[in-house]
Amino acid sequence: MIAGLGMTALGKIYGQTSAQFAADAVRLAVADAGIELRDVDGLLTSSGVSGGISIGLQRDLGLTDLRLLSHMQAYGSTAGAMVQVASMAVLSGMANVVACVFADSPLQPERSAGAVYGSWRAPAGWWGMLGASGIIGANPMYALAARRHMERFRTTSEQLGHIAVAQRDWAVFNPAAQLRDPITLADHQASRWIVEPFHLLDCCLVSNGGIAVIVTTADRAGSLAQPPVHVLGWAQSHPGRHMRRDPDFGLVSGAATAGPAALAMAGREVADVDVIELYDCYTFTVLLTLEDYGFCPKGEGGPFVASGGLGPRGKLPLNTGGGQLSGYYMWGMTPLSEAIIQARGHGGARQSAAHDTVLVSGNGGVLEHHSTLVLASQAGAA
Amino acid sequence: MSVGPVQRDDATAEFFDGTAAGRFLLRRCPAGHISEPTVTQCTTCPATDLEWVQAGGGATLVSWAITWSRPTDGDEPRRTILAIGELDEGPWWWTQLSGDVDPEAEALAAGRRMRIAFERADAEHEAVPVFVLD
Repeated sequence: MIAGLGMTALGKIYGQTSAQFAADAVRLAVADAGIELRDVDGLLTSSGVSGGISIGLQRDLGLTDLRLLSHMQAYGSTAGAMVQVASMAVLSGMANVVACVFADSPLQPERSAGAVYGSWRAPAGWWGMLGASGIIGANPMYALAARRHMERFRTTSEQLGHIAVAQRDWAVFNPAAQLRDPITLADHQASRWIVEPFHLLDCCLVSNGGIAVIVTTADRAGSLAQPPVHVLGWAQSHPGRHMRRDPDFGLVSGAATAGPAALAMAGREVADVDVIELYDCYTFTVLLTLEDYGFCPKGEGGPFVASGGLGPRGKLPLNTGGGQLSGYYMWGMTPLSEAIIQARGHGGARQSAAHDTVLVSGNGGVLEHHSTLVLASQAGAA
Repeated sequence: MSVGPVQRDDATAEFFDGTAAGRFLLRRCPAGHISEPTVTQCTTCPATDLEWVQAGGGATLVSWAITWSRPTDGDEPRRTILAIGELDEGPWWWTQLSGDVDPEAEALAAGRRMRIAFERADAEHEAVPVFVLD
């Protein structure tokens, strides 16, 4: 179960390397759990677009005699995957206290976010040809996925905008969120095109910082500083058809298999889910994941999100911290951190009254890699 | 935006020999399965002894998106349609639509027929496949 959560300052935080953010996040998570660094006997690391993190973090933290150490990379699904590996490690007895950390520092004072994520154009080979064709970075690839959904199911930009507006409304109540001024659907529609059909307000932030979680045994977590958060179910899905002929492209993602598998492991159903924290690199990713997890029938995500059920006044507590769109962009640690806060009941003004079962998604690549976690404040039936 | 510069490497040398001659090359395994040119193992069976075969050049639009580029000379941003096409042989290919296509005027939508053409940034760089609307 999850016993600790450490979050550095997140956003336009300059002057620290990713490795420094990562070490800070682990120290914060250890303190949050009420344990000592020397209690940590497992460490899983994950880096973002700027790299800079390795298993050398062990030395930075002065951790000796670790029983589990690895660097993991499954893009945006990594945070969930780290918790899964850590959970299996503590269940097997391989380790007792595993720290899982992600940090990134892509923002530089003089550099635009677009330059950071769009500057990897390769000059040669297959990837060079893709860049030469104008398909550079994630924005066009996700835009192509979204357009396919829009044409197939008549999903509209306005419907996607409802997700952006609802998440901003949540971010108002999150002191850690980078963007906290409310927006309207008209603001969404008026924001500039990034790659059509995506407006600027369909796209996530870019953030510097680090987040770590501590995974330990149920016995141990019950006697520590924070309300324990049970990890009841988990699954991954990696369909493996990126850029190949793929009838599912933009229509169905790995969430469609990982979500039900994780819920089954947890002994829960979609109807049992109290809080949903979904990876939201784009508004479209949220819509597709809601469909794939079964919160609405396939193809009806557009009307579903536009029905008024989202946001702090809605029925469906979804991305309650503002997510990556309005909160902070720490890859899979964004939904995971908010899920832990909600499961503990520590959400303050944005806390969901019901928070026993929290569903968390991680999404990596261009809808290529998916991880699901089912967290719970009670051990429950599983 | 027209296509940008790209150089060949060991993996793409034969493919770019093809584009230089106006041919889009695909991979075919001994069982006759067709795969996209990027693979080193057949996408249908595990075969690795693949031969190059020329595509017919026809394709159907799968999805599209619109991007803008601002020319360095300060002119107005130029629109480019990015597209995924399903080649008639089966594989998908991701590239841009040639020219200044107005998606509204064309009523652009999945299912639109296209054909492969080739453009290059300059004489020093390789020819890149693009789609042209039929």
